[in-house]
Amino acid sequence: MNSPPQALPYLDTKPVGAAGFYTAINATFRFILGRFGKEGLLRYWEDIGSRYYRPVTERWSAVGLPAVAEYWRAFFVAEPGAEVEVQELAEHVEVKVLTCPMIAHLREQGREIVPCFCQHCYFVSDAIGRPAGVTVRVEGGAGSCVQRFYLATGAPAVQDMNLITEVRS
Amino acid sequence: MIGCYDFCGHYEWTFEWLREMGGDELVKKYWDEAIHQDSQRHAVELIVGEGIEGMKKYWAHTLEEEAAGYLNTVTDEVYRIDMHECPSKGFLIENGLQQFHDYCDHCIGWIGPLMKRAGFAIDHQHNHCGQCWWEMRRVDSQDAPSAAGKFSSDDVRLRAEWKKPGAEIDSFNHATNVDEKEILPPSL
Repeated sequence: MNSPPQALPYLDTKPVGAAGFYTAINATFRFILGRFGKEGLLRYWEDIGSRYYRPVTERWSAVGLPAVAEYWRAFFVAEPGAEVEVQELAEHVEVKVLTCPMIAHLREQGREIVPCFCQHCYFVSDAIGRPAGVTVRVEGGAGSCVQRFYLATGAPAVQDMNLITEVRS
Repeated sequence: MIGCYDFCGHYEWTFEWLREMGGDELVKKYWDEAIHQDSQRHAVELIVGEGIEGMKKYWAHTLEEEAAGYLNTVTDEVYRIDMHECPSKGFLIENGLQQFHDYCDHCIGWIGPLMKRAGFAIDHQHNHCGQCWWEMRRVDSQDAPSAAGKFSSDDVRLRAEWKKPGAEIDSFNHATNVDEKEILPPSL
């Protein structure tokens, strides 16, 4: 195992993940959407955020926004093909995704991408952050976006889902 | 974003989420429909299209990308994998992640239906500790699974860790379905 980057809850022997797994994430969303509809997919995203990613929530709770920045920096270093800038600003953490590694890979592979794919970034991150008093607003998608993480007490109005771009394969 | 660096963690977590939603049958449908027929359709194209040659191409790329500790042995009749250090199960063990009752079943859960489609059957055993072996032969082959050491110079069954404490061996004989599992008694 590599020395533990404290920001990430799980460790691997590889410094960067295998891009081949991105097709399984997309296929998982499609399977759940097909079986349970959008409501089921939203439940999956809520559950994976609040249950699987609980160690991330705990760190964000303990450290606050610096841990949010630390997490996303470490996270995208481990995602193959990501081009991302993470900045800690006065009121929020801004994650500027210049090249989304997952969308880029799926397009390279000629895969049909679930149209609401990019909404998972909002719903999963919101589920991770909520118990820690952190929330997110996402703008853009389909290959590049900006994600702003706020303390919930200082966040702007609720997420406008129309600001998250639908993916066309 | 859900990422690929810890994919095996949330993949395993997802099995249990699906089981809670629809039982083991839903998990099996997921492995077949989402993984075999959708995610791994590049494997289908190679293996259905090219048989053993396709297996060589698919697993050479996949196991290298996942940084597996493994050995391939190929003849005209059989494609064999000895998995000495499964990166996927290894990730779960190292990180103490277990939600679903048998993560290792996912491999035959999607590879089984693929091999059936390609006209092959599988002899396979896994020990739930990150070691397993596979032999794929044409479905009409009369050959039995190989004796330990026959094909491979580093047959996983001859390694000490194959039967280390905690190892429980699930066995599949000429199978294409996860339901064809035989759980071997600890002494075998």
